[in-house]
Amino acid sequence: MTRRLSAAGAALALSAGILTATSTQAAAQDDGEVDRLLVATDQEVDTFNPFKSRYIITYETNLMTYDTLIRTGAENYEPVPGLASEWQESDDGLTWTFTIREGVEWSDGESLTAEDVAYTYDLLISDPAIHDWNIDFAGNLVSAEAPDDTTFVLTLKEAAPAEVLNAGIFIVPKHIWETYPDPSADDANDRMPLVGSGPFQVSEYRANELVRLEANEEYWDGAPGFDEIVYDYYSEGDAAVAALEAGEVDLVRGLNPAQMEALEGQDHVTVNNAQGRRFVSLILNHGAQTADGELYGDGHPALRDPVVRQALHTAIDKAELVDKVLDGNGDPAVSIIPAIFEQWHWDGGDELVQFSIDEANRLLDEAGYERGEDGIRTMPGGGDPLSFRFYHHADYTDYANVVQFVTEWWEELGLEIVSEPIEQGSLNDLVYLGEYDIAFSGWGVGPNPTEMLAMHTCEVLPTTTDGSERSHENFYCNEEYDALHEQQVVEPDPEARAELVREQQRILYQDAPVIWLYYQNVLEAYNHERVDDFTVQPAEGGMITGQQGFIWSFLSATPVGGEDDGGVSTGVLMGAGAVLLVLVAGGAFLFMRRRSTADERE
Amino acid sequence: MTAHRPSADGGPDRDPSAEQAPAAGPGTAPTGRVTTGFGRYLLKHLSGAAVSLLLVLFSSFFIFRLIAGDPIDQLTRERPVTPEQREAMRAELGLDQPLWNQFLDYITGTLTGDLGTSLQYRQPISELVLERLPATLLLSGTGVVLAVLLGFWIGTRAGWKQGSRFDRSHVAAGLLLYSAPTFWLGMIVILVFARYLGLFPVNGMRSASTPDGLLSQALDIGHHMVLPVLTYTAVVYAGYLMVMRSSILDEIGADYLTTARAKGLRDDAVRRRHAVPNALLPTITMVFLAIGNIVNGAIITETVFSWPGLGSLFVSSIFYPDRPMLQALFVLFSSSTIIAVLCAEILYWFIDPRIRKS
Repeated sequence: MTRRLSAAGAALALSAGILTATSTQAAAQDDGEVDRLLVATDQEVDTFNPFKSRYIITYETNLMTYDTLIRTGAENYEPVPGLASEWQESDDGLTWTFTIREGVEWSDGESLTAEDVAYTYDLLISDPAIHDWNIDFAGNLVSAEAPDDTTFVLTLKEAAPAEVLNAGIFIVPKHIWETYPDPSADDANDRMPLVGSGPFQVSEYRANELVRLEANEEYWDGAPGFDEIVYDYYSEGDAAVAALEAGEVDLVRGLNPAQMEALEGQDHVTVNNAQGRRFVSLILNHGAQTADGELYGDGHPALRDPVVRQALHTAIDKAELVDKVLDGNGDPAVSIIPAIFEQWHWDGGDELVQFSIDEANRLLDEAGYERGEDGIRTMPGGGDPLSFRFYHHADYTDYANVVQFVTEWWEELGLEIVSEPIEQGSLNDLVYLGEYDIAFSGWGVGPNPTEMLAMHTCEVLPTTTDGSERSHENFYCNEEYDALHEQQVVEPDPEARAELVREQQRILYQDAPVIWLYYQNVLEAYNHERVDDFTVQPAEGGMITGQQGFIWSFLSATPVGGEDDGGVSTGVLMGAGAVLLVLVAGGAFLFMRRRSTADERE
Repeated sequence: MTAHRPSADGGPDRDPSAEQAPAAGPGTAPTGRVTTGFGRYLLKHLSGAAVSLLLVLFSSFFIFRLIAGDPIDQLTRERPVTPEQREAMRAELGLDQPLWNQFLDYITGTLTGDLGTSLQYRQPISELVLERLPATLLLSGTGVVLAVLLGFWIGTRAGWKQGSRFDRSHVAAGLLLYSAPTFWLGMIVILVFARYLGLFPVNGMRSASTPDGLLSQALDIGHHMVLPVLTYTAVVYAGYLMVMRSSILDEIGADYLTTARAKGLRDDAVRRRHAVPNALLPTITMVFLAIGNIVNGAIITETVFSWPGLGSLFVSSIFYPDRPMLQALFVLFSSSTIIAVLCAEILYWFIDPRIRKS
């Protein structure tokens, strides 16, 4: 037995030695001719039809394949020229005139004119399916025209400056799209390589294997530094981290604090801990209702009282949550618009709620929620006890940790907290049916604050009680808030608009239908021996991945070193040859072993 | 050398008493009776399989309605949409149809070979399944073959020398791996062999940098396959080991083995030529089940190693929830198992005389 084991050990060590020599070369090196940026991803592709795609990965491939008229700046999310070098808004805000850059070419060599732009915007108006799918923007369009090759004129039903500036409509080539039998079909735009005018075009897609984009060397804003970008699939975050450590992938996003810590110790890895666009919040069932004001669901009546909601808010130490749950990788949240959008963010000022269990207790005492014999408060006049169901997503360990801290604080207020982890789909169902008291929510916020703020307007309240209408966050409706919302949507002056947007945030904060807990940092890491010069967004402490309105980072990124000369094919061949060798050796070993056992058994 | 003759006849040698009965049967009865017997046997099992398939077809529609969640939530997860937009998406994906219509569409579609459209990939399901089937067959096919060979090989020897050090150490090692969570084992394998030793790629099936040539692609896939196959085989082979071992134990005291030994055969030959063929009989069901399971893929292994097969497709569809895809995969997985079992039963008619007798 021992003899055989040592023989096996020797065989393994020998084959491992051969393999190490060959396949590290195979795995780590690239073919010398193509500079390729490998980005780890785990997201499926929905569709390459830019009018229909909704996933983050296709948002990014669209941003690279196509141009938009106006980009979102790398500096501070401000609107900056894209395909349109300048634009002019009429006094009534209904007519927008864009000047389209001259000399821009599609990736197939045809020239791009205002005619292509008009064709694209006209699809939003006249193709019924594309119109419906993009109704929030398309519903406001009247006409799209190109009086000459460099002028594009867009007419609106109602003034909506922020919507036009942030529309991010991907301009598609008319000469290609005209040949599509149905431009709204999900598979309409599947012929590779895609034709666009952006810095990289999607050239190959293998479901759950890779998405390949090739550089547009003639890009009007300068040729990209890399020849190719490849999104490579890693369904497990830990596998992506291992691949970054092993040099198999260059950029990994969505790290957790433990992974980031492990990567910080690697010489070839740079970790980027960037301020994030995402908030995590607690939504309170302050009274589920339909647009007609019909109350439904089974939320606890105490949560309809703003005093109770504000007491809950006062008894949360957000700084402690950031420190303990996020390991410091985030910031305590105040309002619905994260601090990263400093032009829109409301920071609380003098009205900022300070953590105090005593103050929270005082609020509840004054409002008449007295403690019963068991220490649990009851409704004023000795009604039901204040016992709240607290639902969190079963697959988010962060949320489970938050629940532990918060429950402890709230129990000091004389509240009974019944927490329960629930699978995401069921949790959403319960929330929209109004069958919860307190639950988690979280959103990644974009540069246009309207998207988030609109979720708290009366207009999006459900018309039925079946929980199927889900455009609202948690049944909020407030006329004063709505009036501000209508003003800010049409306000052309950014400063004046910011005032209105901040006032909206203040109302939400005071009324507390939602308690914003923290803004989560973006944790990402890259191999600086392979890639450098990422432009981050925003300029100060910004992120590489998850950029909005244009992917500045991938355009500016440049390959580092030029050490590759062996060529991957020989490396792989040798590595695979070694595997074959091991298999043959293993087979021979087994065969011999079998012979020897047979002899022994004689 | 005379002892080899029975095997040379094509069939494994069996307990002589069992062989005599069927030999008498065909001799006395007209051949027609045997066909009728087989016909009846076949019909019985075919109808059983057909009923199972129908039950699978109906139940898969309802099972996946039990998964909570609205697919539109996934579609719009990080970007809020207006109510009108939600309606448009719902209508296009057919989610606004009453349940009854969706059921009828599903049944008529499945029976005519149209499996519908995936919600998350927004492509025809049959295309997606066909694209991924080769990857799955390659990974779990190789894994199953290795696991069966390894399990049977060790199981035979372990059972033959019950209680020996070989038996104890291999059963312990096999069961330890069998009970190890695949996910955990997969991550350990990645860390050791890919991350620290750098012998194999971390995951995936092909590298982005591999040239298009057939040979380099094949070698690259082979290189990527080693770790997932290793993990899958390590986790499942103990099942075959234990079945083969207990099957050998059932045979070990049989008289025909004593007879074989009395003829002066070596112990090794007794095991290989007499015990193993008979012990293999009860394991046939298991082998066919394994073949049926090749289609289901190694669901967790595929997920850990980002292997682009049907297993990882199933997992991502659960989280969506992509109900049309889940229905289709469930029907596919179940029917492959049902058909494999049916094949096993038909095969038994030919190799197990006791069935023809009854």
